Amino acid sequence: MGEVPLLKELYEQSKDQGVVVVGISLDEDLKKVHEVLTSKGMSWPQVSDADQALCKLFNVKGTPTYYLLDRDGKIAAKKLPSFKKLRDALDLLLKKS
Amino acid sequence: MAQKSFVRLFGSLLGLVLFLVLTAIAQNSSRPAPNDREMDRVQAMITQAKKEADQFLKSGGKADDANHPNLKWAATLWHYRLEHPGTPATKVATIQALSMLYRSNRVSEMQAKADTLKLDDPAWEQIINVLLFASTTTKDYGYLISKAEALTHSAVDPKIKALARFNIGEAYWRKGDVDQARIAFQTVVAEYPNTSNAEEAEGNLREIELLNVGQPAPEFDRPTLNGDPLSLAGLKGKVVVLKFWATY
Repeated sequence: MGEVPLLKELYEQSKDQGVVVVGISLDEDLKKVHEVLTSKGMSWPQVSDADQALCKLFNVKGTPTYYLLDRDGKIAAKKLPSFKKLRDALDLLLKKS
Repeated sequence: MAQKSFVRLFGSLLGLVLFLVLTAIAQNSSRPAPNDREMDRVQAMITQAKKEADQFLKSGGKADDANHPNLKWAATLWHYRLEHPGTPATKVATIQALSMLYRSNRVSEMQAKADTLKLDDPAWEQIINVLLFASTTTKDYGYLISKAEALTHSAVDPKIKALARFNIGEAYWRKGDVDQARIAFQTVVAEYPNTSNAEEAEGNLREIELLNVGQPAPEFDRPTLNGDPLSLAGLKGKVVVLKFWATY
């Protein structure tokens, strides 16, 4: 949760380069999710994974976990455990494309 | 007269007996069983060790410092193990002693102690995970793999056998030996069906086949919390960051 301000900044900075963020919340309590989204000002799209189906699909076992997909929908980096690793992978990908 | 005092005496005797019985019951129920007492004792040591370790790190101590309280407490808990073989509290003490050594970067000392444990020791249930953490830190998977192989043959508890085989898969995978990892995970699925290890192994096998860099991400399609439709196919042409998260 401490990474939210950084992700927010990255989202604002790279929107114009065609970067989208999708939050996948594992919470069962959707009311709490909505509260956090509002209080932290997280404006990117969010889906609920209360049934853990997406976790299973992506073999995710803990949070936070990031996946990075390129413009063709291919996996560019997987199971990154921190914002820093995501940032590095994204920088690399944007430099290439 | 005599009859009256007899009744009174009998009454007070009955009262006394009743009092003694009730006190005994009360004492018995408030006094925990010996095993629980020992567990409390070990837990108290662990709590104290954690407190001291937190203070030590806060005041600038390093994890592998020779004065780290973990080392003292690992020795204390190990001593407890030697004095009290074969109890549930000893299992906890053993696990904690070894993980404290690992957390203070005393990996070879931890391995030397682990070597003295018999393969049917119930503490392996957790120690096999400590070995995995340690080898991930040192990037040396040899000890873990040989120990885990021995456990898959000689452990008594099938849960420990399954976990050992699973951790062999994890070790090979982290090492970059995908073929050996696949074999180990397939063995877990085949030999220990309907266990959490089998379920995790299946997930890892799927990841090994389908979730590699360069492969198309698995498609999903579900409405957002705001009710808008969202699918990965609809995001083609964009760079997509998926963030799995939770409020807790």
